[in-house]
Amino acid sequence: MMDMDPQMAAALQTFFEESRDLLQDMESALLFMEEQGADLERINAVFRAAHTIKGSAGLFGLEEVVRFTHRLENLLDQIRSGTKTLSPGNITLLLSCGDHINDYLDRLVSATPLDQHFLSEDLRLLAALQSALGENSSATDPSLTEPSLTVYDDVESRTEFIHEVSSDAPVKSAANWHISLRFGQDTFRDGMDPLSFLRYLQQIGEITGLVTLTDALPALSMMDAETCYLGFEIAFRSVADKASILDVFDFVKDNSIIHVLPAHGQIAAYLKMIQQLPEGDQHLGEILVAVGSLTPEELQKALALQEGSDQTGQHLPLGEILVEQKMVQEPVVQGALEKQQQQRESKNAERQLLRVRAHDLDHLVDLVGELVIASAANRLFAGREDLESRLESSSQVARLVEEIRDGALRLRMIDVAELFQRFPRVVRDTARTLNKDIRLEISGEGTELDKSMAEKISDPLMHLVRNAMDHGIEPAEQRLAAGKPAQGSIILHARHDSGGIVIEVSDDGGGLNREKIRRKALEKGLISADQLLTDPEIYALIFAPGFSTADTISDISGRGVGMDVVRQNIESVRGRIDIDSTPGRGTTMRIHLPLTLSIIDGFLVRLAQDTYVIPAEAVEECLEYPQTVGSVGYMELRDQPLPLLDLSAVFKKAELSETRRNVVVVRHGMERIGVVVSGILGNQQTVIKPLGKLFERVPGVSAATILGNGDVAPILDIPTLIQRHYAISAKSALVH
Amino acid sequence: MAKNILVVDDSASLRQVVSIALKGGGYNVIEACDGVDGLAKLAAADKIHLIISDVNMPNMDGITFVKTLKQKPEYKFTPVIMLTTEAEEEKKREGQAAGAKAWVIKPFQPQQMLAAVSKLVLP
Repeated sequence: MMDMDPQMAAALQTFFEESRDLLQDMESALLFMEEQGADLERINAVFRAAHTIKGSAGLFGLEEVVRFTHRLENLLDQIRSGTKTLSPGNITLLLSCGDHINDYLDRLVSATPLDQHFLSEDLRLLAALQSALGENSSATDPSLTEPSLTVYDDVESRTEFIHEVSSDAPVKSAANWHISLRFGQDTFRDGMDPLSFLRYLQQIGEITGLVTLTDALPALSMMDAETCYLGFEIAFRSVADKASILDVFDFVKDNSIIHVLPAHGQIAAYLKMIQQLPEGDQHLGEILVAVGSLTPEELQKALALQEGSDQTGQHLPLGEILVEQKMVQEPVVQGALEKQQQQRESKNAERQLLRVRAHDLDHLVDLVGELVIASAANRLFAGREDLESRLESSSQVARLVEEIRDGALRLRMIDVAELFQRFPRVVRDTARTLNKDIRLEISGEGTELDKSMAEKISDPLMHLVRNAMDHGIEPAEQRLAAGKPAQGSIILHARHDSGGIVIEVSDDGGGLNREKIRRKALEKGLISADQLLTDPEIYALIFAPGFSTADTISDISGRGVGMDVVRQNIESVRGRIDIDSTPGRGTTMRIHLPLTLSIIDGFLVRLAQDTYVIPAEAVEECLEYPQTVGSVGYMELRDQPLPLLDLSAVFKKAELSETRRNVVVVRHGMERIGVVVSGILGNQQTVIKPLGKLFERVPGVSAATILGNGDVAPILDIPTLIQRHYAISAKSALVH
Repeated sequence: MAKNILVVDDSASLRQVVSIALKGGGYNVIEACDGVDGLAKLAAADKIHLIISDVNMPNMDGITFVKTLKQKPEYKFTPVIMLTTEAEEEKKREGQAAGAKAWVIKPFQPQQMLAAVSKLVLP
């Protein structure tokens, strides 16, 4: 693909994206109709998707896609016209066809060769389409003995045609032709310009002689400016064959008289032409001689022949009466049209979207990040100078930068509906595999989240949904026995929640089995027998590495390696997951995510000379360090013990010497801890910079940021700090 | 001054390829994603010399689009190329009745589109 014209490469990229969107639309429409019954509007949408893919694939020379979608389109056309029904079998077939095209496009993008699996699927689908169309599949259709789709390594060779020079084969020698043209009266009204056809004619050959016929022109007073009265007799020299020459006038052929004859060719053919044309025979003959298509002798011969035919009464009268026809406008119900248009304008507003490369957007967000830092520096220096006007203008800049930042971040946001859109299909297919009747409910569309976060969260979410279907929802008999409807339901819900996003996966199944999880965790040595655990703590155990309570390993939710990976993935985007479960009623997995990946509200603290950032969402309150605290590592907060974490110990620094210290109370999930710091610097927008390789593995630090004065400040990883602290104190408790 | 061609099709990649081919032929291209957008682009443009429109589009299909624009005196003589498929003979007749007298059958090669446009409008 490297050598391809960059413009075409970009267009091909558009084609891939567009086709995926269309296939997704097609799938959604099919799934909807499977549930709610067929409706014409959706059938049309499915048809249009296949149709558009076919049309565009042709432009890129992807003949295989054209052939495959053509068959698909045939079936859809019959369903649309009512000849065939949208049976469950046909829905499944159409879904598989969509998958197959998707698979093909994926392979094309990644230059993955086709394997046997792909080719046999291709043959299977073609045969299925054929039998769905009611065609005899045993018929010897060549397309069935060979797969319709083939992947070539060199996409570029198939897209280079744009530079191909049109058909001038140098071996063919030029021939002389005579072209006789009488443009139809409506030519102008049809939007055609006779002159442009003649100019185009010159692209395929040379006009050696031309006479414009004005015979049909009426007197000036009778002339209608919109009517075409023109005719041409043309001597033409070209390597093109007759069909190619006729093809030039394809658009006007219905209403015009067009003759293409070899020059000096059969006299009888010329005679026939002369007879059919409205002008005087003699006059026309002279023109033919004048343009060089006939010699005077040939003309004489032709006229002699005509006299003969005159006696048999076949001669057409000269100068046919031209009847002027007023073009009748199509009656259009204007009112209905306007109404229709109004209804659609609002829809259309949503369609005014612009595709932007993710990379460009990332770059923009990066720059805005730098701008935020620079603006903080600006404000800092302005503050030092203590010039009121300077301070004022710099805070104005800071405010605008913040607005730009918000705007830039919004550009990265996608509707959660986009994340959810693959799930109807997943649930449908999984339910079939599990042989369970399960319904999916989706709510909270309109909630927006960062696109890169959506990408990272997609697989974990899929895993949770499958897990809920496999382990959560009980078999129908069991459900009925428990007095629940036989059909299980999975609910996907998204909402905004205090500066973040919450995505919930709920099922109405049997709920998590507390005892079973506890037993298993004991077996695996994850907990000790005497450990007292709250319900959330026990539920959280299923996210421990290697934990799986499924009695049998199934294909659906993996082999016990899933849930810890789910948690890791979620935590990698600074999210967390918790579980609510009621025995017999169901389980809700709740994923909490930050709004964006690149900027957070930071809470700046000072530790000796250094600045650290605590994500503001984790901060609960700030206290003064109590004088009464001993070396136990606990303080009292509203009659509750609060474990204290000394950052200087974590980062192996000299113990804090200040007498006035502060405690920042941070929370992760249910756990709270007091972080001891030298001082509090306050809130600041913090641009997250990834840590270099060297610092990637520093425990307790998740990333870094650059402060206004240019200093680098680590961003504390509160969940890890809390976990480590509890782990260490648990260990030391055992030692005591 | 290059002539303005309006390309109305819901497929962005089709518009892109057609646009590359036509620009290569010396035309200026304006794109619209459906009939409603097409009418908006017509209203906003100085002069459109030729219109290429798909038949099958959401919001407003090509037939309605052509009917509507042919009502406007300024576009009465503007040539329209309709994009159809072989399966849409009926649509083709409807399109012709609406005022689209030229058509190109999908799928087509970019070069074919440039040829069709050159027959109707000089670059």
